[in-house]
Amino acid sequence: MIANRGEIALRINRACQELGVATVAIFSEADRDSMHVRQADEAFCVGPGPAGRSYLNIPNIISTALITRCDAIHPGYGFLAENARFAEICSDHGLTFIGPKPSVIALMGDKATAKRFLHDAGVATTPGSDVLASLEEAQEVARAIGYPLLLKATAGGGGRGMRVVHDPGDLPRAYAGATAEAEASFKDGRVYIEKLIEAPRHIEVQVLGDEFGTLVHLGERDCSVQKPSHQKIIEEAPAPNLRAETRGELLEMALRASRHVGYTNAGTLEFLVAGDVVYFMEMNTRIQVEHPVTEMVYDIDLVKEQIRIAAGEPLGYAQADLAARGHAIECRINAEDPQNNFAPAAGTVSKVVFPGGPGIRVDTHLYAGAAIPPYYDSMIAKIIAFGEAREVAIARMERALRETLVEGVTTTIGLCLEILETEEFRSGRYDIELLLKEPSRR
Amino acid sequence: MTDHRAYVGVGTNLGDRIANIERAFEALNELASVLAQSSVYRTKPWGKTEQPWFANAVVLLKTHATPRALLDALHDTEKRLGRTPAERWGPRSIDLDLLVYDDLEIDEPGLRVPHAHLHERAFVLVPLAEIDAHFEAMRDALPVEELAGVELLDRARSVLSMSESRTAMPSERSARLSERVRALARFLADGDAVRVRIDRPDETIEITCRSRTAGASAHTNDGVAAQAQPPKIDAIKADLVGIFHVSRPAPLEGDRFEADRELGYIEALGIRTPVHSRGAGRLVSIATPDGAPVEYGQPLFLMARGH
Repeated sequence: MIANRGEIALRINRACQELGVATVAIFSEADRDSMHVRQADEAFCVGPGPAGRSYLNIPNIISTALITRCDAIHPGYGFLAENARFAEICSDHGLTFIGPKPSVIALMGDKATAKRFLHDAGVATTPGSDVLASLEEAQEVARAIGYPLLLKATAGGGGRGMRVVHDPGDLPRAYAGATAEAEASFKDGRVYIEKLIEAPRHIEVQVLGDEFGTLVHLGERDCSVQKPSHQKIIEEAPAPNLRAETRGELLEMALRASRHVGYTNAGTLEFLVAGDVVYFMEMNTRIQVEHPVTEMVYDIDLVKEQIRIAAGEPLGYAQADLAARGHAIECRINAEDPQNNFAPAAGTVSKVVFPGGPGIRVDTHLYAGAAIPPYYDSMIAKIIAFGEAREVAIARMERALRETLVEGVTTTIGLCLEILETEEFRSGRYDIELLLKEPSRR
Repeated sequence: MTDHRAYVGVGTNLGDRIANIERAFEALNELASVLAQSSVYRTKPWGKTEQPWFANAVVLLKTHATPRALLDALHDTEKRLGRTPAERWGPRSIDLDLLVYDDLEIDEPGLRVPHAHLHERAFVLVPLAEIDAHFEAMRDALPVEELAGVELLDRARSVLSMSESRTAMPSERSARLSERVRALARFLADGDAVRVRIDRPDETIEITCRSRTAGASAHTNDGVAAQAQPPKIDAIKADLVGIFHVSRPAPLEGDRFEADRELGYIEALGIRTPVHSRGAGRLVSIATPDGAPVEYGQPLFLMARGH
């Protein structure tokens, strides 16, 4: 069963079809005409539009899996993907959760605990606090660590429940804001403090582990092109201009951390890289939105690997068998307005043309006439460009973005083109402040 | 000569359908006296979707003609209307079907009343039940998908403007008016009306009621006695995913419940969640087979309320 929607539901369906695995899709009433519903072998409505009553409705999802006699559930990303309780409930009902063990999800899902746990294993982490009990405690920690600092939701992800604080006077308001946003987004308002590493790069490492103790990394991805809200827009693999020693340290640290938690299935370790200094930030215990760039350079189908691993198959290769080739870039096309603080643009897509040709891959659930419901994430497509060299991939991506036409909603296509044209991006010397530096672009 | 009452179905799927229907109404009024006419409904084509949609309506005629003579007259009218050369948009098809003639049951070559397919056609039963409450039960027995294919297109306007209403004496009119007002009061007491409109001087009283069925409006017009509104059909839907079962003793289609009762249950994750009738009403149909898996929002029972 595919417990998700949108492009990732289609992505999982494709992997299943290639493996000869029958699929059951779930959908909300708002997604009745969605592409993933059409493509799956069976589809069940599990609730009304709001995600809390449909894609997060655990009883209806489990019940659907049972009455359709599913063997396993792939949660995709978002929704229930990092919900340890859901993973446990799956196993209680004899359903295989396609992901790591529930205990690992729980451990890594609590970001503050995860950092302390891995710090003890010798993984470099940013100076910071445990979960904060009160504003007073936050102020105390802040005095010890120094400003600027970051307030982050321990249940967090996607930049929600996060605040940058430069000045002690701003802390009370930021604390209240982060707590409220975390509570609203994750039903868990707990936050912690982390020293703000100024102008770092966001580089992450993909790992895969089977149930027989084989654990490999599939290189790194640079995800430094982010919206002011820290949501990623452009990702690439490998990371440009990364010193071999730094890269080695990053990959070694990722493997050490993964082994330390006994990681199985696909996961991603996010790091901040400031110059040559590497800090572990958090681990995402699921498939990532940007997984295709890794797939392109390693020629490995990560979603199929997830399913095989969950079915108890060994990886069948070791680190030494793996080598990256070429360069891949992904642009996220969101239905939102970059001119208006990335406000989501719900509506109906009247016309859509996606690019093709050499080296281009498009992962999307969009079609002409498709409605974009207001309840969910605004990402409508991912365009991935591959080339033997980075310049080739950039040229292909620019060409592909110009070929792309989406009418009816505002999108980030123009913004992606603008970013690709900047000197910083072309030279590969950019950090997570790229979009903050030239406000005219936003 | 004796007066007979006959119901005639009108249908068209070419050109300006409403104009076609109105021409048919006029032609029928020349043929006999029209006692009542339904609203015009739009019917989605079934099966081949490239077929254009139909406009359908039903009229009640008062006639002296025998069934056979009436049928022949209808065929003549059909041909006459279909052949009118004035329009440059090509031929328009008008179908006139003799549906019911008094209480007669006739099965002769080329003449069958009641109409052979009367009981299975939503596009006939919806307008028919609008002007004659006797056909409501037959209409309500149709599957909900059939009913959903028939929607109100054009409300019935002042019917019989050419006959009885114009000749009615003021006293008769006021008597009829007070009768209508009483009916209206009964109707409004049921609480389903969301909009009431009274047009003068032709005295059209239009009531729009909250209802999901095709007969979404009740009308009282000159010459048409105010009738009880079509019952509201209420679908009781699954609000969780599981296996659906009908409760024992099993409720039967057509059963009437004076109070809330359990009709079935959904079994999910080892828990049985009962499905209730949600108050009094008549069970029109059990929409999901016993033992079938159900998804969120799937209709389980159709209940007729009020009435």
